Amino acid sequence: MLTAISGRRAALQILLLSVGFVVLVAVSVASVLLVNKAREDNAWVVHTVEVEGQISNLLFEVRRAESAARAFLLTSSPQYLTEYRQAATGIPAALDHLAKITTDNPAQVANAAKLRTAVEKRLSEFTLGIERAQNNDVATSIAVLRNATSSDAVEAITRIGREMRAEEDRLFALRRATADETQVLASSVTIAGSCMVLALAGLSIVLVRRSSRARDEAEAKLRDVNVTLETTVDERTADLREANEEIQRFAYIVSHDLRSPLVNIMGFTSELEELRGDIFKRIASLNRAASPAPAMPDDATDIAEPELEGADKQLSDDFMESLSFIKSSIAKMDRLISAILNLTREGRREFKPERIDVHELIDGIVKTVAHQAAEANASIEVGAMPKIVSDRLALEQIFSNLIDNALKYLKDGVPGTIEIAGRSKLGFAIFEVKDNGRGIDPKDHQRIFDLFRRAGTQDKPGQGIGLAHVRALVRRLGGTMSVASELHSGSTFTITLPINWTGKNRDKAS
Amino acid sequence: MSDPVTIIMIEDDEGHARLIERNIRRSGVNNEIVPFTNGTAAIDYLFGKDGTAAERKGHALLILLDLNLPDMTGIDILRRVKENKYLKSTPVVVLTTTDDSQEIKRCYELGCNVYITKPVNYESFANAIRQLGLFFSVIQVPPAV
Repeated sequence: MLTAISGRRAALQILLLSVGFVVLVAVSVASVLLVNKAREDNAWVVHTVEVEGQISNLLFEVRRAESAARAFLLTSSPQYLTEYRQAATGIPAALDHLAKITTDNPAQVANAAKLRTAVEKRLSEFTLGIERAQNNDVATSIAVLRNATSSDAVEAITRIGREMRAEEDRLFALRRATADETQVLASSVTIAGSCMVLALAGLSIVLVRRSSRARDEAEAKLRDVNVTLETTVDERTADLREANEEIQRFAYIVSHDLRSPLVNIMGFTSELEELRGDIFKRIASLNRAASPAPAMPDDATDIAEPELEGADKQLSDDFMESLSFIKSSIAKMDRLISAILNLTREGRREFKPERIDVHELIDGIVKTVAHQAAEANASIEVGAMPKIVSDRLALEQIFSNLIDNALKYLKDGVPGTIEIAGRSKLGFAIFEVKDNGRGIDPKDHQRIFDLFRRAGTQDKPGQGIGLAHVRALVRRLGGTMSVASELHSGSTFTITLPINWTGKNRDKAS
Repeated sequence: MSDPVTIIMIEDDEGHARLIERNIRRSGVNNEIVPFTNGTAAIDYLFGKDGTAAERKGHALLILLDLNLPDMTGIDILRRVKENKYLKSTPVVVLTTTDDSQEIKRCYELGCNVYITKPVNYESFANAIRQLGLFFSVIQVPPAV
């Protein structure tokens, strides 16, 4: 859910950035194009001005040639003739130039051509007048000029010049408008583009801030959840610990309270036993008194078992048998209750981690069972052992239980060999207690670790507590335990314990 | 034990009480045994109506106390006895099933004179009570002052 939203947001941001980039590129391209166009437009405006200047220049030259020609006709001074020639020679060049720069406009081309005709006609009139004057025919030349003054050529020059100017004025206005438009357009595009980019940037910032806020919120929520989770775990652990302690207390109290009635049962059974002795002694003496046989001496009643016959003897034996069943059952129940009490007492004991030389510890155990081992014709070999940090008493109980079991369940008639080996691996110490005894059927491998459960031939005393106790201890020490065995081919018990047990890596449960 | 000493037996289990009584008798102790099966009745007897135990003044008592009583814990009775100016010199024998070391320590701290854990095995139980009876027959008990 959260990822979908953030994914969409990220996509939107990328889209925004792309749009911003595209807009930026478009604005740049448009600006470049528009600036180019503006330059072109300006060039055209300048061109128009140039054309107008050229027209003025041409008309001025024509006027200068005309006034110089007139002055020469009036004064015949060679100075004016020179001036006229100067002006006249410049005119064709000026005409050419004008024609060249007006090629862009067909109307102006036509006008320029007409102007050229008119100017050339006027120039030829001047040339004619000056020739006449040089031939001293001043009167004719003046007439020529006078005629010429009102001639078509003059009028045409004036008219065409005016038309060309008007045309250029029109072009000038048009081109300036175009240039202005282009410039306005360029600035508009730039402004619009900038605004758009700014808007996109703003939107991006808003989005980024929103997503960062969302992220902060998510982080805060995650922190909260973590804290809650830790609290929950702590609560559950506390609950479990409490429940476990309650079970321990319960087991302790129950086993305690079971003991009281047991004392009574046992006590009154003993009383009954004594009563039985008294009753049957009495029966025996009564029988003797009733029988014709000579009376036994009185002190004979003090003999432990009175002499009984027939039905009386049967009764006495039945009584004894019942009592012995009751007593053996009580003894068994007593052992079970004691075992539960010991187990709960163990469960309540606080473990103290300390550095332990396991080899030394196991050697100590082996020494205490040396007599048993000799009796069972068994040898015990202790290999190299890693040193570990653990609870000493627990380790002692674990190993002495396993060694006791190994000695207890040897194969009859086969010399026993018990090997104890240890090694360390990845922070764990692995211990193996291996025997060549009677072995355990694989179907019983789970059962032997259950409380009050045993397996195999029941020819040895025991309550079925040892292995349950060992496994509980191993678990409390943060380790695991397993068995590998086949019937008649020995057993190997493997115990894995942490090398550095801190007393905290497992619940106190066991 | 001098004749006027009365044994106050506070024991909620009547079977136990009977077995204890029988075995004490077997060891030759013939003193009066006053049994109580709950704490309240025992307190009423020991401390009298006014609760000061003035009524017990001049009586020589020996208290046989079980800790697990139905209405209170024997430790409360022990504390009250040892705090009372008339009864504080009365010997108290705690006879109970509990063998918790904390509990034992607490009882001695409160002034209990002997702490015995009832053996579960009847032979040992009977033996222990008989020896206790022998012990009763030789100890001196001061009268409450």
